[in-house]
Amino acid sequence: MSGKNCVAIASDKRFGVKYLTISMEFPKMFQATDKTFIGISGLATDVQTLMERFRFKINMYRMNEERDFEPITLANMVSSTLYERRFSPYFVEPIVAGLDKNNNPYINGMDLIGCSTTACDFAATGTPEDQLYGTCEALWEPNLEPEELFETISQTIMSATNRDCVSGWGAVVHVITPERVITRTLKTRMD
Amino acid sequence: MDSFLPVQVSWTPQTAASGSDFYPYTNNAGTVAGISGGDFCVMAADTRQSFGVGYLINTRYQPKMFKLSNGSVLGTSGFYADGLTLIKRINQRLEWYKHAHDKEMSTPALAQLLSITLYSKRFFPYYARVLLGGLDLEGHGVVYGYDSIGSYEPCLARATGSGGSLIQPFLDNQIYRKTPLGILQAPHTLDQVKAVMRDSFTSATERDIQTGDYLELFIITAQGVDVEKYDLRKD
Repeated sequence: MSGKNCVAIASDKRFGVKYLTISMEFPKMFQATDKTFIGISGLATDVQTLMERFRFKINMYRMNEERDFEPITLANMVSSTLYERRFSPYFVEPIVAGLDKNNNPYINGMDLIGCSTTACDFAATGTPEDQLYGTCEALWEPNLEPEELFETISQTIMSATNRDCVSGWGAVVHVITPERVITRTLKTRMD
Repeated sequence: MDSFLPVQVSWTPQTAASGSDFYPYTNNAGTVAGISGGDFCVMAADTRQSFGVGYLINTRYQPKMFKLSNGSVLGTSGFYADGLTLIKRINQRLEWYKHAHDKEMSTPALAQLLSITLYSKRFFPYYARVLLGGLDLEGHGVVYGYDSIGSYEPCLARATGSGGSLIQPFLDNQIYRKTPLGILQAPHTLDQVKAVMRDSFTSATERDIQTGDYLELFIITAQGVDVEKYDLRKD
């Protein structure tokens, strides 16, 4: 979700198979660069595999180029990594969110084979996608300051995951500002 | 029973086009929502009627909410023909009740009647997702939410139909204040509820292709039912 010179990315913490909850501390987002995060929903094994592959590629890029990925470049890297597996895809839907070198927000969501969409407002993936989009549309407004953005994305993820029986069990929110990344954990219903 | 399909229709070659199986349902979609307040109830629905999986619009204005003779409002979505049939049956039963008992049926009684009417077609259901809004015996607003075979519960705020999954969490957030971060506030006024309804439907219209065109609000108070109409996106 984008704000005024800031972006926020949030996920729930549940990891489960069908209706069996296996873990309540499963992070679905990781920090790619100082000002960029990747969030991945989908098949957990692919989520972990991809996180490791992206970490490797991000480190290689940093060593070769002696600079960090711009969010748009990172999104293209994620997209082409997924399209390499066009006919045996990773079952994931990633979101890339970050600030570019001018601190403008950048948000990108894509499908499992890397067909990407850049959004100026917000992107959502995962089982409560409908609920997230409905709530985002109603609560979000342009040019939110970091604290307002935090409140908006937190209300959104909690309302949406409370209506999805396979999501929830706590949530994590990262708000990325030019100066720092603010990470907060939300307590939600644990059922 | 081999399968749990709701109906086995045997169709003769003379009446069915060869190669295509007869299917007794169509999804005309659309969204219905209801919010109950202290002495009022607001029901809302869009007026778009789509066809099948939804890329075709039959009409931009076909109301799917109906004021019943006892002053409650029944909103339907899903299969429009089943919705209409259900309304016809319910209206008929309301009239019989009036002649037998010389009074109008109460909304809670109607809620139970609607439930058993839906359940009476348990194995060939009305493919209608309905909401019933009205005032209870004490004059408080009440909304009943149903599934298509008659399970029902009274609720403060409920959304159903094609945009139901988009609107429901927003209503939870604004009406129930379910999230721990929310500040509990005084019961909602009619104006607040109307504003929440309009926001809900403009938001759902952004993302749900089967919701749109116009929004109708039925405002139920002890004085009667007021109808208001607003524009929604038409794309």
